[in-house]
Amino acid sequence: MKKPGLLRAIIGWLRRYIQLRAVVSTVALTGVALVALGGFLSYSIGNGLFQTRLTQVLNESQRSVIQVQNTFSASNVSDEVALQTLMNSVVPSLESNSGSQQRLVALLRSPAQAAGSLALQSPMSSNLNLNVIPTQLRAKVAKAGSHLEYQSVSIPGTDGAHPAVVVGAPIQIPLAGAYELYLVFDLQNEQNTLLFVQRTLVVGGLVSLILIAMVSYFVTNWLVAPLRVASDVAESIASGDLDKRLPAKGTDVIANMATSFNRMADSLQKQITKVTNVSTMQQRFVSDVSHELRTPMTTIRISGDMIFRNRDKLAPSLKKDAETLNDQIIRFEALLGDLLELSRFDAGGVRPHMEPQDVQHVVGMSIASVEPLARSKGSKINVDLPSEFAEVELDSRRIERLLRNLLANAIEHGEGKPIDVHVGATEDAVAITVTDYGIGMSKEQLDRVFDRFWRADPSRQRTSGGTGLGLAISQEDANLHNGWLQVWARPNQGACFRLTLPKVRGGAVTESPLPMPPAKALWDLPEGFYHE
Amino acid sequence: MTNKIMLVEDDEALRTQLERWLTDSGYQVIAVGDGSQVVDLFKSESPNVVLMDIQLPGRSGIELVRDIREFAGTPIIMVTARSEAEVMDEAFEAGADDYFEKSPWEPEKLLARIKNSLRVQQRSAEPVEADSGVLKIGSVTVDILGHEVRKNGEKVSLTPYEFKLLTTLAEKPKMVFSREQLLKDVWNHSYQGDTRLVNVHIQRLRSKIEDDPDNPTVVVTVRGIGYKAGLN
Repeated sequence: MKKPGLLRAIIGWLRRYIQLRAVVSTVALTGVALVALGGFLSYSIGNGLFQTRLTQVLNESQRSVIQVQNTFSASNVSDEVALQTLMNSVVPSLESNSGSQQRLVALLRSPAQAAGSLALQSPMSSNLNLNVIPTQLRAKVAKAGSHLEYQSVSIPGTDGAHPAVVVGAPIQIPLAGAYELYLVFDLQNEQNTLLFVQRTLVVGGLVSLILIAMVSYFVTNWLVAPLRVASDVAESIASGDLDKRLPAKGTDVIANMATSFNRMADSLQKQITKVTNVSTMQQRFVSDVSHELRTPMTTIRISGDMIFRNRDKLAPSLKKDAETLNDQIIRFEALLGDLLELSRFDAGGVRPHMEPQDVQHVVGMSIASVEPLARSKGSKINVDLPSEFAEVELDSRRIERLLRNLLANAIEHGEGKPIDVHVGATEDAVAITVTDYGIGMSKEQLDRVFDRFWRADPSRQRTSGGTGLGLAISQEDANLHNGWLQVWARPNQGACFRLTLPKVRGGAVTESPLPMPPAKALWDLPEGFYHE
Repeated sequence: MTNKIMLVEDDEALRTQLERWLTDSGYQVIAVGDGSQVVDLFKSESPNVVLMDIQLPGRSGIELVRDIREFAGTPIIMVTARSEAEVMDEAFEAGADDYFEKSPWEPEKLLARIKNSLRVQQRSAEPVEADSGVLKIGSVTVDILGHEVRKNGEKVSLTPYEFKLLTTLAEKPKMVFSREQLLKDVWNHSYQGDTRLVNVHIQRLRSKIEDDPDNPTVVVTVRGIGYKAGLN
């Protein structure tokens, strides 16, 4: 693994592209098969060539040996010189016998020959090196009766070593005793034929591989193309173009897939249209209810207001009723307003009015609006703002309402202790934490804090006129901005709510710029519970 | 002299109660339920302020605003059960000056809106303090004493709210006003105001006094902060 990066990239491509994978594996498997086939062919052809030549060589040698032996047996030379002349004539007669193929000859004196025989020269072809004749062969020939012995060797040629066969046989020479005749046959022609065959096999194999790669590319392309189309169409449907369909032609498996896909798309389209219609109807219903309920509600409110204004004119026994009536109408109206707001969220009909705003300004506005409540409860609001201007795209009406709600909750549960507000910003997000050091919450309470109509402590006196829906609406508003609304709390130590918003519309929050609870708290806070 | 309020509301019970409540608050009320009578009644009664419902049978509140703006700049406060952006923007573009949401009912807020409208309207009709004179922004001159605005010497007719918006900006030409500041100074809204009111009014004002409303030179936008009067 010298280049793990490159290797990983290749593996990556293979994983990603099914077509590349198919082509590469086809080529690899065919390559292995071709190498095996080529090896087998090359081996059989080589072997066949060798065996044919060997048979021929042995036949030729047999003839030559018999001829030489006969020559010697039939001669009636009586002196050393005549014998040497005869022996010397044997070599060229055999050498010239062989046409274009080189054939070398040696007539060697057997080493096992009894001493005292005539010491004659051993004639041999001029370009034969005696080292070519292996000693094992010589040993075998010495022991052989009348039959031939042979061995494959390599001989030096003009263009490097040539494969060759050495055939040897004992010869009895009158007067001179035991001699050995060696014939060296050059097999370069057969070797050349084999090389040619091998080269042809390699070239043929490579050409086949390229052809197979091309064929498999075209075949897989043809199979993958409908999948690509299906993928594109599915993508279009996913991005909202519900009318897109696959072309379904023929009766093959791909046409079947297209038909099934189109049926699925039809059914999806029907469902989505139905859901959209229901949602539109629900939105219209909520809007109608809102209008129809609000007009009489306002009329009742005005009447209540009139009675309340003139309560001094009522009989003393009714004065208390006038006050209760007014209070409860106000509460009822707030509840109705919050319920309608939540229904609007549930019906999916809420469109935020996003505008770039300075977050410090939004925080300042929210704090200013709860100042009277804070003063009445004796809570001081400490603010920690970043020095730089942080512009955020938000619906200021909703975010101010959300912060007002968090601040009012903090004041209500803060038991007159200070409230800390921190603002933090990073490159792409802002966070606002509102921390109180009041009664806090247990783990069980924390888990339900965003539930509708849930109250931390129903027996507690309510002063800020909350409806029990405030935090549920706040969370919906945070979601509407792609933001987070999270809370930390600990019983009798306080609670910290953190709002994190992306700076641009549609952005995503990955990390909040502020810790929760705040790092710079008025007091050291022990470990608390989180609900995110 | 008691101020006259024209109340246009189709729901009879609400109209009756609102009329009684406004009378109880010290105003003379002309209550109308039928949109087709509004223009005639307006002409014969000349109210100081109009409270206009948006949803009316026959003629919509927005159309009625357009009708009234043909001949009068009297402050019109839209009273609405809907707070949908499109409807309100349309009403402001037609010439409405302010808005008030029926629900939740906030009586103090309604009284404050009416009082501010009366103040704005009366200020543009009565003689003003002696220290103010003629202000000049670009090609526009504002004669505060004479309540007259001229563009390249030609008289431009502004509603009392538009006049107040322009003079507020012109009196402090170096100051950049945030939308909230303008909501407070011109409309006397508290912190919870809807700044779209300011945006649409600025557009309306620009369409009357700018040579090219798309490239304003008299009322300039300061990005991220708000608006200011253009350089002299």
